[in-house]
Amino acid sequence: MLLVPCPNCGPRNASDLRYVGEAGPRPDPNTATEAEWRSYLYIEDNPAGLLRETWYCRAGCRRYFVAERDTTSNEFVNSPLPGNKIGGKA
Amino acid sequence: MPISIPKENASVADQASLTFESPVLTKPKGGSDSGPTLEDLSGLTKTVIRAEPNAMDPPFGQALAVGDMLLCGQRPGEWLAVGEASDCAAFVDGLDRSGHVSVIDHTHSRAMFRLSGSAAPKVLEKICSLDWSDAMTPTGAVVSASVAKVTCDIARVDSDDGAPAYLIACDRSFGQYLFDAIADAGTEFDLRAL
Ligand SMILES: [Zn+2]
Repeated sequence: MLLVPCPNCGPRNASDLRYVGEAGPRPDPNTATEAEWRSYLYIEDNPAGLLRETWYCRAGCRRYFVAERDTTSNEFVNSPLPGNKIGGKA
Repeated sequence: MPISIPKENASVADQASLTFESPVLTKPKGGSDSGPTLEDLSGLTKTVIRAEPNAMDPPFGQALAVGDMLLCGQRPGEWLAVGEASDCAAFVDGLDRSGHVSVIDHTHSRAMFRLSGSAAPKVLEKICSLDWSDAMTPTGAVVSASVAKVTCDIARVDSDDGAPAYLIACDRSFGQYLFDAIADAGTEFDLRAL
């Protein structure tokens, strides 16, 4: 079981949340090229190590937040903050 | 071409005259007086209020008795008022509308049950992954989580005699299933459906 630290609800079973994807800055839609959009939407870094990712607290507070997880140990680091929606699709 | 609006969506006031029918049509038999009880309270008026997160008490995660009505902070900036229709209507009338506020009547779209008795936390533990110990979810706690795979809003409001009691609300279409699932989980504790 993966315990995801929701900033509103506390640690929750990952089945109570939805994984949204890697969090990153959204390119400016007015100036981004098609390649940049495609990269933003579909290309993931998938690092072995620390990764910032967006989660949606589906069964709990129904808020998006960004958490940082070590993909090699599944440990979450640096407690997420409520309302931190950088790169989220809220 | 003009869009036609069904009458039931035309005015909230019209809905006051609708007869309420619970989604729970059958209740399992059995249980004993010593076991926990499961009661269908779907007929209570359930009003959802959305406003700025700190617009009023209680804060997210807590419940507060307002007269005979219960006000639950069920999400940041979202409250559920549960009680008799007249109490909820009076509360809504008295809301401070100076900010961005929305009020929606969920009475007919949500089922609500009350699970109570000393074994009630044990019943919930079987079908919900949250920590139902007194330390984590004391009386007055409000949480949202999956119960038997159904997304629910839960408020712990203990009985007058101190026995743990939970108000569990889910979407109406899951009402009969969830009632049966909770009753099934309570079988080994002699749960009685009221
Ligand atoms: Zn949450």
